[in-house]
Amino acid sequence: MTTTPAKDFMAEGDSAQALTLEQVSDAGRPDRWWEVVWSSRKARVGVVIVSVYVIVAVFAPLVAPHDPLDSTFTPLAGASGDNWLGTTTDGRDIASQLIYGSRISLLVGLFGGLLATIISLVIGMVSGYAEGTIVDDILSFVTNVALVIPALPLIITLVAYSEVRGVWLIVFVIAITSWAGGARAKRAQIITLRNRDFVTAAKFSGESTTRIIFREIMPNMSSLVAAAFVGAATGAIGAEAGLAVLGLGDSQSVSWGTMLYQANAQGAITQGLWLWVFVPGLVLAILITGMSFINFGVDLLSNPHLREDA
Amino acid sequence: MSLLDVSDLSVRYEPKSHRPLDAVQHVSFSIEAGEFVGLIGESGSGKTTLGTALLRLLQRPGRISAGSITFDGTDITHLHEDELRDLRWRDISTVFQSSMNALNPVTRVEAQFRDVIEQHSRLRGEAVTTRIRELFDMVIIDHRFISAYPHELSGGMRQRVNLALALALEPKFVLLDEPTTGLDVVVQHSILENVRRLQAEQGFAVLFISHDIGTVLDLSDRILVMYAGRIVEEQPAAALLRDPLHPYSKGLLGSYGDPRAETVRITYVPGRPPDLSLEIRGCSFAPRCPERIARCTEVDPPLLPMAAGRAACHVAQLQRDEGGAGEHGEPKRTFDGPQFVKTAEESTQALRGDVVLTVDHVSKVFTRRRGLTVQHTEAVTDASFVLRKGEVTALVGQSGSGKSTLARMITGVDSPTTGRIVFHGPNGDQEVAGFRGRSLRDYRSNVQMVFQDPYSSINPAKRLGYVLARPLANYHGLKGDALRDRVEELLETVALTPADRFVNRYGYELSGGQRQRVVIAKALAVEPDIIVADEPISSLDVSIRAEILELLGGLVQTKDVGILYITHDLLSARMLADEVIVLNNGRIVEQGQTLAVIRSPQDAYTRTLIEAIPNPF
Repeated sequence: MTTTPAKDFMAEGDSAQALTLEQVSDAGRPDRWWEVVWSSRKARVGVVIVSVYVIVAVFAPLVAPHDPLDSTFTPLAGASGDNWLGTTTDGRDIASQLIYGSRISLLVGLFGGLLATIISLVIGMVSGYAEGTIVDDILSFVTNVALVIPALPLIITLVAYSEVRGVWLIVFVIAITSWAGGARAKRAQIITLRNRDFVTAAKFSGESTTRIIFREIMPNMSSLVAAAFVGAATGAIGAEAGLAVLGLGDSQSVSWGTMLYQANAQGAITQGLWLWVFVPGLVLAILITGMSFINFGVDLLSNPHLREDA
Repeated sequence: MSLLDVSDLSVRYEPKSHRPLDAVQHVSFSIEAGEFVGLIGESGSGKTTLGTALLRLLQRPGRISAGSITFDGTDITHLHEDELRDLRWRDISTVFQSSMNALNPVTRVEAQFRDVIEQHSRLRGEAVTTRIRELFDMVIIDHRFISAYPHELSGGMRQRVNLALALALEPKFVLLDEPTTGLDVVVQHSILENVRRLQAEQGFAVLFISHDIGTVLDLSDRILVMYAGRIVEEQPAAALLRDPLHPYSKGLLGSYGDPRAETVRITYVPGRPPDLSLEIRGCSFAPRCPERIARCTEVDPPLLPMAAGRAACHVAQLQRDEGGAGEHGEPKRTFDGPQFVKTAEESTQALRGDVVLTVDHVSKVFTRRRGLTVQHTEAVTDASFVLRKGEVTALVGQSGSGKSTLARMITGVDSPTTGRIVFHGPNGDQEVAGFRGRSLRDYRSNVQMVFQDPYSSINPAKRLGYVLARPLANYHGLKGDALRDRVEELLETVALTPADRFVNRYGYELSGGQRQRVVIAKALAVEPDIIVADEPISSLDVSIRAEILELLGGLVQTKDVGILYITHDLLSARMLADEVIVLNNGRIVEQGQTLAVIRSPQDAYTRTLIEAIPNPF
């Protein structure tokens, strides 16, 4: 076989040199993920809102005027320069409680969302990759059970019977009751990806199954994982507040949920203490709205068609 | 006045987050009633965008930015959607590229015809049914498929149905956008025969878009060659074949050769089309052009009347002005690019290599349980052949002939129902079906694969350096500098030079041909004895196929690897393979030295395959 890869015209002179160089385009480079998220106006609003919350939570001791558990103020004081949002029935500063409360919410959101995402990833990816085998049957069964069990009664039971009632217990309970939907979505996604040629190619390169799932396939669904995380974190924040309102929160710390619980227990509404009830609910609602807005941006990552309309 | 007049048409894409680009630039041409016009160009040349614009089907962010389209005396450039609706399908219809997606999967074929016919004509009830029967007769499909769902039809049948649907209202103009891409040669051949016959009978005008100059030349009266968003040449088909003006047309023509010849040469156009979002100085083809002169990189050549048509090339114009006697010499007919040559003599030598794999009376039966009945499908029947080192064996057959099943058994994915596949490796003779887990992994360091679709066989989330490093790390335990050096060496082997420009790239930044070379480099990484190449060129443009064939051919020589080349195209088998095995319905119908088989085929099926090769000469 004779091959003549370069005829004479390619060898002559400088300008011909450019021809032999392989040309690579740079136009095909997709946008960085943060550029895509930032390109959505809704997501920008969401990012700003959540950033403000994070800053307030991190610097709570600097921002808050008082110690949230300090009960030396005049009970039931109205809003004033000293107590920005007034005080509670037992003489604590509402504004400071609100500021410190953001720490619990964000903590639970971050770790609850993270843990739920990790569980759903492992179970969903493995069962989807092994679709049709006994492994998939078992994992799908577990997922289905977790989907149909009513989450709230389960959470209440778990929390009510546990000895300690710290933040980490709440994180754990929320995570193990909320992963199932995400696992389903990831299973469906990996089923569409696992028959791609690059997965077969990876098998021919001698990759192990774990590596194929988590190093080869997972990076291709990172936008889905990110969206699931934001969703799970949002859910976790709401769940924590809900539990605390029911009196199942961590009694040692201040969160928006425990504030609402206290307010309710002290009959704040009948006494006309609107700020005490209204403000924790409002900040919670704004945070959840902000996170949902971020998800609009994350959606653009997984569906490029949406980008033109954003 | 022509049926379709396009003047100075430009289409601009203005995505929000990227630079805008002009996919079609100042294109002017016209199509007479009843004329068959071909439009060729490689992927990314703007031919589909042009077609979409003619149908007024452009979607955001694309829009017609200048020029006009006049159809049958009506300016349709800015016609309102409601008025367009009357025109579409009744006067202008189309057959899209993907036969899979063009038919609604949840509606019976009959209902889709009925929809179109009742919308645009006064036919109702029984009259419509009669018309549908006529249409099915036209495209030679049995009437029992009228009430079928699209998924019950084969790919070829689906595309015929699309063709019948396009002709349902006897339109004046039909746009065919690569209607046979993805179908195998025999089906492609019969569909195009069908198109040609119907066009002659009914006299509708056609704009036939394709990247395959062979089929276009076969069918068209006149040909438009498109490159980088512009028409670079327009000539009657015969004139283009005899006297191509633009070097790009010559390059496209060079991708065909006569498979029966003792020595076959095919050329390819190296490089890739320019990025249209950047400003181009001079001729857009200049960087890839072997005939380039200094003026080409300075001045953009205008589309001027020349020979029997029009062309946009300084060199062609100067040559014709000087009458072939001046400093620019005679006009050339061939493309002076890189070429790939295959002689008969080499094949004879290759058949003396050591046998590495023996396929011995192998059959594969698939059983499928449907309710109470069990269905047996015999995919492969009693196949026997050997693979040798330093030899290319081509496995040729239509889709469904069992060639992929054989490949799956050879790579250890499936095991044969009866018969044995024996690998004569470093550890003595081993039966492939016995490999599981660890031993299968070890076997794959000897047998590697090159896939059909280079777009899905490179992980889009990984850099090329990583992709190539993995087999080396897994099988050879290479690390650090040694690993990096070997990766760069591999890239150099497949002519991706300089290697350090490619290590940190992603697959999607490369052209189809470059990607396929990366896939080949990956298969080579572990220095296998056998490479199974499953239609490695069928999803690439015809103009760059030779590039991959040349690479594979060179590897057989230098690396002493045996290649099992799976294809439905006998021309490429002729270019690459020393021995050819023709497979029909799971049975080997013919086997022998490639040239001998092509010159004097013994089996009727082999003859069908040979006839299906588009032969413009």
